[in-house]
Amino acid sequence: MAAREKLGFLRQRFGSAIVRADLTSDRRLYVFVEPRSVKEVCRALFRELDARYVITIGADDRPWSGCFMVAHNFAFDRDRLLVSVMCLLPADSPRIESISDVVPAANWAEREMRDLVGIEAVGHPYPKRLVLPDGWPDGLHPLRKDVEWDEAPDCDDSGTGYDFDDPPEGCTVVPFGPFHPTLDEPAHFRLYVEGEIVRGCEYRGFMVHRGIEKLAESVLGYNDIPIMAERICGICGCVHNVAYAQSVEEAVALRPPPRAEYIRTIMLELERLHSHLLWVGLACHIVGFDTLFMQAFRVREPVMWIAEKISGNRKTYGLCVIGGVRWDITPELSDELKTVLDKLESEWHSVARAVKNDRNIQRRTRGVGVADAKVVKEMGLIGPVARAAGVDIDCRRDHPYAAYDRVGFRVITAQSADVWGRLVVRTDEVFESIGIIRQCLARLEPGPIQTPIKEDLPAGRFGLSSVEAPRGESHHFVITGENNRPRRWRVRAPTYQNLQGVPSMIRDAQLADMTIALGSIDPCFSCTDRIEAVDVRYGSVKVWTPRELREMAKRPQSGRDIKDS
Amino acid sequence: MSLLSKIRETVLCLKAGRVTLPYPAEPRPVPPRFRGRPIFDAAKCIGCAGCANNCPAREILVHDVCQELRIIQYLGRRCTFCGRCADVCPEKAVTMSHDFETATNAIADLSQRLELFMSTCQRCGRCFPEPSPLERLKLKGYRFDDVASERWIFHSKGYLDAESTVADIRIDLD
Repeated sequence: MAAREKLGFLRQRFGSAIVRADLTSDRRLYVFVEPRSVKEVCRALFRELDARYVITIGADDRPWSGCFMVAHNFAFDRDRLLVSVMCLLPADSPRIESISDVVPAANWAEREMRDLVGIEAVGHPYPKRLVLPDGWPDGLHPLRKDVEWDEAPDCDDSGTGYDFDDPPEGCTVVPFGPFHPTLDEPAHFRLYVEGEIVRGCEYRGFMVHRGIEKLAESVLGYNDIPIMAERICGICGCVHNVAYAQSVEEAVALRPPPRAEYIRTIMLELERLHSHLLWVGLACHIVGFDTLFMQAFRVREPVMWIAEKISGNRKTYGLCVIGGVRWDITPELSDELKTVLDKLESEWHSVARAVKNDRNIQRRTRGVGVADAKVVKEMGLIGPVARAAGVDIDCRRDHPYAAYDRVGFRVITAQSADVWGRLVVRTDEVFESIGIIRQCLARLEPGPIQTPIKEDLPAGRFGLSSVEAPRGESHHFVITGENNRPRRWRVRAPTYQNLQGVPSMIRDAQLADMTIALGSIDPCFSCTDRIEAVDVRYGSVKVWTPRELREMAKRPQSGRDIKDS
Repeated sequence: MSLLSKIRETVLCLKAGRVTLPYPAEPRPVPPRFRGRPIFDAAKCIGCAGCANNCPAREILVHDVCQELRIIQYLGRRCTFCGRCADVCPEKAVTMSHDFETATNAIADLSQRLELFMSTCQRCGRCFPEPSPLERLKLKGYRFDDVASERWIFHSKGYLDAESTVADIRIDLD
């Protein structure tokens, strides 16, 4: 009973500051704390009990409790326990002491909370905007309940410069991103470079913030959100889909049937397979080894096809609804999947053997992008990055969900803490995933794939779910609500934490190692802020200003507006 | 050591041979469960609007022109082919086709419009048997989505009146 132990420790230490504690199961603990003691409770959990920081959530709870709500989530991986330290803040002064100096990993989450919900983290070491653009009006916090979902304020910032920090003395600024051929996502790193050595960086991201959480809390319904959730990520979409469904199911104490749990496990592992194969290929591509990039993608393709046969789509499987799954695995599909796995295993053996002994790859990745166990702890890094540093964490084993408690697998770790270690971890995890799917197929028991839901889901319940995505832990937090939709749904994707480790990975490293250290981030000047439209018939050039483009984007789209020109 | 792995890699490539498919010169058949563009069958549709209520992308508009005529318009612009409309349709009037090559210069080509005769229907919503309370019809009664400018308006009324519902909703059209 680890949960009771931790609660006993906190009660003994903080006494009356612990207002309320909910033990919903052996594996979940919700502690309500007086706002003034939150920082000390977090310090005790993080430093003394050695918890892993997961995420901070801010919520506007004014329509129900009249307060704002803050939750700091921690994980005790060896004890299979997730702890949420919660507190209520008065509606007229939503301020709470920042925990970022105790828990450095909370840096982004507290800034995001200030941007989106308007809860001020007092004493934050770097209180700069994170999510909202520079031109967004002050005092307008999109996740507050009194802001409409389609609110579109004028964010024209064309007259002002970007709010960048000054580089340190003697350093030159090299901008990375937001657009580059090898850059998967628009993120902007301002690198402070001294000669060829990177001394530090400033990160500006969230350029494609889509407001999915706001949509879920104001427009969509419980069963619409899984479809939207899997569009959070193009690679690990099914992870978000399952994590959301699981967090709602946990909140309302609904258990999907065993067959559905096995099917979820199978699809999650199929997704891990294709993601690992893709990443190994991509890593080879970044270090300039395109032969293996091609081979990894060739080996990966049958995985996409079998996913398409099971779910009707190569990606975005549309797998979960609350209480079960939508697609069953028939005996024929099961046989076909086994054939695909057999072929994949033998082919991946030969690829892995080639990769692991290739001295060129080793030279290019060993000692590059080092994030050791200390950085992992301080910045809350997860997934292959943590495991490559010898930190033995894996949500599939530590916080079992779906059918992972009924299958056996090894958690692969490495000790080198560099890109090479991550490559080895991900290469070897492929074999474990194949093993997991085989075990699931063998144990797939007949039965229903959805639990019937008879009544409306109760409101005001909390649900947490950690799902091991190929890149690390995806964490979902849900407060159920009225009108068939959650009050608050917070998604923490693995990259959210791992990106915060990037500055220490690249510090004092060669500029040329950035690309592989960041996996897919590469330098480029491409901050184009306008588009030219050339009329070929007259040769005239029209230059669109940012304001015109913004106006065009606001106008309702319809087929008639788009003409050939 | 390194030379050996280079030889291994060469063998790997040679053994694989050519794997590219002749698509699009030759069509590539899709598996039976493939989810392509949804097709709406006006002969089967009873106009319950269950699909419109449960479309995650809000791509299906419902507009009651008068007591007898209901328009259901599928836009197809940002439809993700998730198949929820086909899941919840009580009459199996929506099928997920195998049609995925939907690139077009005029996005209106993708839309489908059903003009349904509704008899003396009061739009009580009872003809939509929801799979669970999570799919329950939230908008019973008459609906007035803005078909002309393809805008979804999550609002319904228990009666039909001369005034358009669109006017009482705050929409910024320009």
